[in-house]
Amino acid sequence: MGSDRKTFEFHATFSELDEGLDIMHLSIQRLRKAVGRGDDDGPLLLFETALGEIGGNVLTHGNPPGVERPIEYELRFDRGVVVASLSDSGLPAHDHLSRDMPDHESESGRGLAIARSLLDDLGYERDGDVNRWRLVKRL
Amino acid sequence: MALEVETRQADNGVTVVAPTGRLDLAGAPALKEAISEAVKKDGPQRVVIDMEGVSFVDSTGLGSVIAALKQLRSGQGDLRLAAPNQQARVVLELTTLDQVFPYYATVEEALTGF
Repeated sequence: MGSDRKTFEFHATFSELDEGLDIMHLSIQRLRKAVGRGDDDGPLLLFETALGEIGGNVLTHGNPPGVERPIEYELRFDRGVVVASLSDSGLPAHDHLSRDMPDHESESGRGLAIARSLLDDLGYERDGDVNRWRLVKRL
Repeated sequence: MALEVETRQADNGVTVVAPTGRLDLAGAPALKEAISEAVKKDGPQRVVIDMEGVSFVDSTGLGSVIAALKQLRSGQGDLRLAAPNQQARVVLELTTLDQVFPYYATVEEALTGF
């Protein structure tokens, strides 16, 4: 018996930056509690870091002016694997997916490279006019 | 959760900037502003960012630290980080920015010899 036997689900929609970031961190905090992981649990900390990067990108680019649809967010934990799903209405993101880590002088452009390196899988698909992101990590 | 930033002067003249909260996409502008204010007031200088109160760092937060470092070094100043938590250290090491920002376990250590 361990945290692998436990399951967890969280759903939310949001549009604002501060609200969205708060909700995503709150969901991770609830997951920690639900599956009995401490604040310093390494794999969950890495997952939260990746979620902060992708979630931040989605909140910045996924809610263009004139689009009323909020960002949809879901967090699930089952059989030791945590999966976060985010859907947004921003422009297609294919061109950015394989971006390398920029040099030390650069003040931006590290988010996707960080997320890719911390997750077991970072899924992306364009579904009509919606971007769907899927972040997967075994804890 | 807004980032709150306090600034103080250490005995050796180094400016200590202490953010509290998440140094992320939402919090980064507050750190940038605090460092710009300090530079505007006293000119380019040596700055220690006390990370003890920072619970989480993302790449935009790191970007604000890089911006501060560039601003300070362009005027012969410099920057050190103190007391980053486990998550911040992971991000610094992953991005290899730990080679750019020397980081110290405590503010006192960061102030020593600075």
